[in-house]
Amino acid sequence: MARFVLNRALKAVLTIWIAITATFFLLRLLPGDPTTLMVEGDMTPEMRAALLKTYGLDQPLLEQYVSYLRELLHGNFGISFRQIQPVTDILLDRLPWTLLLAGVAFLLTIAVGIPIGVYAAAHRGRWPDKLLQGFGIGGHALFVPSVAMLLLVYLGAKLGWFPIGGAIDPDTRGAAAYLSLAHHLVLPVASLVLVQLGPYALTLRTNLIDVLGEDYIRAARARGLSGRRRLWKHALRNAILPALTLMGLQLGTLVGGAVLTETVFAYPGVGRLIYEAVGQRDYPVLQGAFIMLAITVVVANALTDLLYAVLNPRIRL
Amino acid sequence: MSKSINGRARRWRAAVALGAAAALGLSGCGLNEDNGASGDGAAGDTVLRIGTTTDVSNFNPLQSLSKTDSWILNAMYPHLLRIDANAKKAPELAKDYTYENDGKTAVFHLRDDFTWTDGKPVVADDVKFSAESIMKYKLGNVAAKLTWVTSIEAPDATTVKFNLSQPYAPFAEGVGFWMSVVPKHVFEGAGDLSKFANDSNWVGAGPFVLESATKGQRYVMKRNDKYPLAPGGKPAVSKVEYRLYPDVNTMMLALRNGDIDLMGTPVPASAAKTFESDSKIKMTKVGALGFAHLTYNMNNKDLAKQEVRQALSMAIDTKSIISSVLQGDAQQMSGPISPIFADYDNTEIQPYPFDPAGAKAKLTAAGYKDGNGDGLFDGLELGVACDQSNANITRVVQLFRESAAKAGIKLENECVERNTFLSRTKDGKYDIDASQWGVFDNPMDQLRSTYLSSNPGGINYNLLKSPEIDQLINDAAGTTDPAAFATKIKNIDKVVHEQAYLTPLYVENFQFAYNASKFGGFEASPSDLLGMVTAYSLAQVKPVG
Repeated sequence: MARFVLNRALKAVLTIWIAITATFFLLRLLPGDPTTLMVEGDMTPEMRAALLKTYGLDQPLLEQYVSYLRELLHGNFGISFRQIQPVTDILLDRLPWTLLLAGVAFLLTIAVGIPIGVYAAAHRGRWPDKLLQGFGIGGHALFVPSVAMLLLVYLGAKLGWFPIGGAIDPDTRGAAAYLSLAHHLVLPVASLVLVQLGPYALTLRTNLIDVLGEDYIRAARARGLSGRRRLWKHALRNAILPALTLMGLQLGTLVGGAVLTETVFAYPGVGRLIYEAVGQRDYPVLQGAFIMLAITVVVANALTDLLYAVLNPRIRL
Repeated sequence: MSKSINGRARRWRAAVALGAAAALGLSGCGLNEDNGASGDGAAGDTVLRIGTTTDVSNFNPLQSLSKTDSWILNAMYPHLLRIDANAKKAPELAKDYTYENDGKTAVFHLRDDFTWTDGKPVVADDVKFSAESIMKYKLGNVAAKLTWVTSIEAPDATTVKFNLSQPYAPFAEGVGFWMSVVPKHVFEGAGDLSKFANDSNWVGAGPFVLESATKGQRYVMKRNDKYPLAPGGKPAVSKVEYRLYPDVNTMMLALRNGDIDLMGTPVPASAAKTFESDSKIKMTKVGALGFAHLTYNMNNKDLAKQEVRQALSMAIDTKSIISSVLQGDAQQMSGPISPIFADYDNTEIQPYPFDPAGAKAKLTAAGYKDGNGDGLFDGLELGVACDQSNANITRVVQLFRESAAKAGIKLENECVERNTFLSRTKDGKYDIDASQWGVFDNPMDQLRSTYLSSNPGGINYNLLKSPEIDQLINDAAGTTDPAAFATKIKNIDKVVHEQAYLTPLYVENFQFAYNASKFGGFEASPSDLLGMVTAYSLAQVKPVG
């Protein structure tokens, strides 16, 4: 197990380094630089040169890269071009909100997805199963901002059940603040869960149906085990493994979806920060945000692998 | 066995609970900071809540270039001049200005009743310090407007003299409008101002000063109780709270829902009708300080010919574009100066008529041929570049492509992502540029920026090198007599029109929506940069009832 963990940890570090390198060079491959957007300001070539020097963009690309890696190893993500503040501070301000949003959506998808998948598998071919199949396929076609806007218009504006954007009411404290936080979280989380839930439950249902046809399940039935026990204890443990992998992968989608969800719901997370920083070509903020999100996803995937290994000892071999 | 299952279930439930608690705990940090930071909502406060689209990216007013930053920063830091509803410069911190020494010295006379929120008076030394810092550190877009300054004097507390290397007629207007005045006693201790974030303990002299900033959520400003331009010497609104809505549709819902009282950003023309049925929402319409246009790259062998540029100007149906793309909410332009600057707009100029047949005849006369009879001139194929995030301009390009084909001109749609577009136009890698100028506060700056061959500003997208135009612009720039200056501008207007260096299209109207059942008294100014959220406008706002 120790070798397995070490192997996974090394892979995670390598993945993060690739993400850092790709982010660094891809951003600089984009046409224009942070000064491109300042054309309306009647910028002189001298002013542009001074700005590029301030940003460190007058150095050769490789030099910029080495210097960036060196700073990263010291835990320094750099200074935002536009906000003139350490990127670490900016990100730490926003990351908890994205973790909260994506984390709650992630847990809710699992918590609701498992019973739905199991129920559909147990009622294969009947209407709940057909409904799930439609929902699952539809989920693939749903676009997060469209779902978000629909929820906002009907449940927020028309019915007035939920607030229009934001993360919390400004003048609340204590328990009221947590209630306000949860109230503001409902629609953004619902948007993400609605898009993720169908495909997740459908995958679980398909795996479960396959497993229910295995010999050991038939043997369990011959031994007189109840249908409920066969389903929840014996079949689900094996069927959940591919679904677990899918959730690990979907975490990346969840974080990506948060960029759009946070924009529609005016939610103050990293996603919205990225949206704003792209428009401003604020390289340090973009790099920091992508790296932090990459680390989050890589760590979550590594944990998924470990969980997978705990549930299925064969893969440790 | 069942005991073991129950044990696992308990562990699973505990893990879920722990995860949720950790997530809530993490956010709890932000939650507490947020609550601690914003102190609004106290009894007796009259809070005006305004929707904005992005966070303040830079609190240093000498350096910030963002439109949405300026909404907040301009309410804190005074300017010498402001723009009124008719796009004319009006006094703000400066009572007036004059030119001396044959136009080589611009003198501002300041009011003596502006005070910083820490109690110190706003004096000429603050203005001198602000301008000198901008020049020293090459800050923001004002540095280019101070190019001609050789020295600055503050002979007394209310007089500032800018000595110029040469007369430049719109110098005072440009610097007066664009330059923020900062408190010298606060900023001088900050060291290198290009690295000064100015993100706390704000001291301002505008009608409001920032009290708290919660990134990603809200910015709360409190009233300056000594603001001389507000009726009665202090704003009627005790607090202004900017709330963030990156998506304009969400912002519109928030206004309808009563979460905000004013949209800082204009309502899209296509969505304006949705407010018509809401009796409490009122709309105010203002013109733009920029305009949509087609600009031709003079380095292209075809576009270097006057006949081709004129033919292109005759191959675009601006009137139908205004009615279909902008739902009629725009004014057609004739010459290159926006009609909003009535003193400088040459009204004798008529727009090129939409006449594809006439355009075709003009090109035939210029020697272009349609050898294969496909209806298009051989070898006359041009690309039209635009920023695809601008939905209106993208649609204009589609319509232009269709109408130009009727005149025998093949156009390719080359609309791309904004930064790519800006990068291409700056590098001259385009044939025709379809875009919209943001803000020009005076025609002289516009003409210098866009046509002067030696212009250091770098938005001469035509890549024009015309000694005639250079001479006309330089001559007008040194003319400080207002009437003679206007005449010379009108003449340049005429030459640019005849040469068809660009095809001006339209001046868009902007509509701003606010909750009229709660607030009134806004003083709207042209453009989406200013709109309803200028310092002057916010100082005039009154609660209704």
